[in-house]
Amino acid sequence: MTGIQAIDATGLTKRYGEVAAVDQLTLTVAPGEIYALLGLNGAGKTTTIRMLLGMVRPTSGRVSLLGTRVGPGAHAMWSRVGYLVETPTAYPDLTVTENLRVAARLRGLSGGEPVSDVITRLNLGTYAHHRARTLSLGNAQRLGLAKALIHRPDLLVLDEPANGLDPAGVAEIRALLGELARDGVAVLLSSHILTEVARLATRIGVLDQGKLVWEGDTTDLVAQARPRLSVLARDRDAAAAALRAAGHPVSLNGDDGLELEDKRAIGRPDEIATLLVTAGCLPSRLAVEQDDLETCFLRLVSTS
Amino acid sequence: MNPAAAAIRVELLKARRSRLPWVTAAAFTVAGAFGGLIMFILQNLRRARSLGLLGTKASLTGGTADWPAYFALLAQTAAAGGALLFGLVVVWLFGREFSQDTVKDLLALPTARTTIVGAKFAVATAWSLLLSCYLFVLGLLIGTVIGLPGWSAEVAFHGLAVLLITTALTVLLVTPFALAASAGRGYLAGVAAMIAAVFSAQVVALLGYGQYFPWSVPALYTQLAGPDRDPPGALGFTLVALVGVAGIAATAAWWRHADHDR
Repeated sequence: MTGIQAIDATGLTKRYGEVAAVDQLTLTVAPGEIYALLGLNGAGKTTTIRMLLGMVRPTSGRVSLLGTRVGPGAHAMWSRVGYLVETPTAYPDLTVTENLRVAARLRGLSGGEPVSDVITRLNLGTYAHHRARTLSLGNAQRLGLAKALIHRPDLLVLDEPANGLDPAGVAEIRALLGELARDGVAVLLSSHILTEVARLATRIGVLDQGKLVWEGDTTDLVAQARPRLSVLARDRDAAAAALRAAGHPVSLNGDDGLELEDKRAIGRPDEIATLLVTAGCLPSRLAVEQDDLETCFLRLVSTS
Repeated sequence: MNPAAAAIRVELLKARRSRLPWVTAAAFTVAGAFGGLIMFILQNLRRARSLGLLGTKASLTGGTADWPAYFALLAQTAAAGGALLFGLVVVWLFGREFSQDTVKDLLALPTARTTIVGAKFAVATAWSLLLSCYLFVLGLLIGTVIGLPGWSAEVAFHGLAVLLITTALTVLLVTPFALAASAGRGYLAGVAAMIAAVFSAQVVALLGYGQYFPWSVPALYTQLAGPDRDPPGALGFTLVALVGVAGIAATAAWWRHADHDR
């Protein structure tokens, strides 16, 4: 599979009338890579995933999975693709084992081994003979992941894979996906749990209003974080006036404090403290702070 | 295992685990038993009155109580009840995938979507034929118990043949309900299409144009619309076949080409 991208999408666009749900999206995912799509609700993550899986036809653009172009009539590559789209679903009258047997048969697998293997792998043994309708959200999610993994795919496309899982379950899935990626499986996932994405993804794409507005690795995303000097003073207006008089651009924050983003202030907070004391505005707090991942993401989305 | 066989096994498993096979069998049991009751009443009006099965002032005329009449009644049951019950089976097989949102697990598989659609129709056909066979066996039992006259192997064979042809006609006519359930993404559109077709079939047959309206053809064939109505003729049967083929082809095309964005 050397040289062939697991996902190769070019100029992918989906329009519903005048609205572009996805607009000129180009992305590639290599084998062994974990690519996370981040975006607010309605950003186009699920439409993108459905187009990648051939469920929705793009208005323009093309998608190839594992070297095969996606389109009506092309279904051989699906034996190498596992997926979970939106909320997990299963036949409620069938047991966990029967649901997995259905998935195995439709993927051309025979014998009980793939079913029992994936039950063990996803820790579903206790629920193997329970009807799907009795499963909790977390276990239904495990069943959805089991269906996606039953045929040991080369490409996994997962929409919110940690949805409904407890912290232990999230850690378990994180470990599992990491292990799969080390074995050369390409993973594309969408998520809104930024901390999870940061721990797991090797590359991140931020979608906003259907457009890929930013792409990079977690370090790049963190590098977007802006440092600032946060100041709390008893007389905020006087402190702001003193700082402005000294040539520092100042902004007021919602916590009755001030923020300075110029390099001079961030590099020498002691000078700012001295300036405020001299102006008679004693600071009660003065600290250099940095945006967290969530703020970085929201800023990327709001400035796009 | 080849994909078609695998898809059929999957559909059979899903059907077996549901209540619908029992519900449809129960409905045909009631229909068969009701037919037997009518035969019993026609056979002995005085006894039926004394048992309270018929009002003292009520009368039933024009019907005969014998095996040919009972088999004809069973075929009419398949024509009238079949449009609803076989229709329900098809609507359930397709509509459930959308109502339970399991359809998305069927769309990106090495088994082609058209194979899955074909498997659903195959199971619906087998299910409907089994129901009709069950109705026939039930009819044999009930007819024997009430002691209907006029039995012969030839009569029984003819009765079975008419019943199976009626079932085949009805199964062909319910295929568009699969398209309605798929395009409407659930049971509701399929059931609405079914009710509209059954209602229209009654009206058109009464107006005397039944042979031109495919959904009236089974009723004309089994003389459900009355013995004075013309049989459907070659045109009627051709229209039924066309509806069947078009229903299957359109459903398969919809599964293959439609945007599955919900």
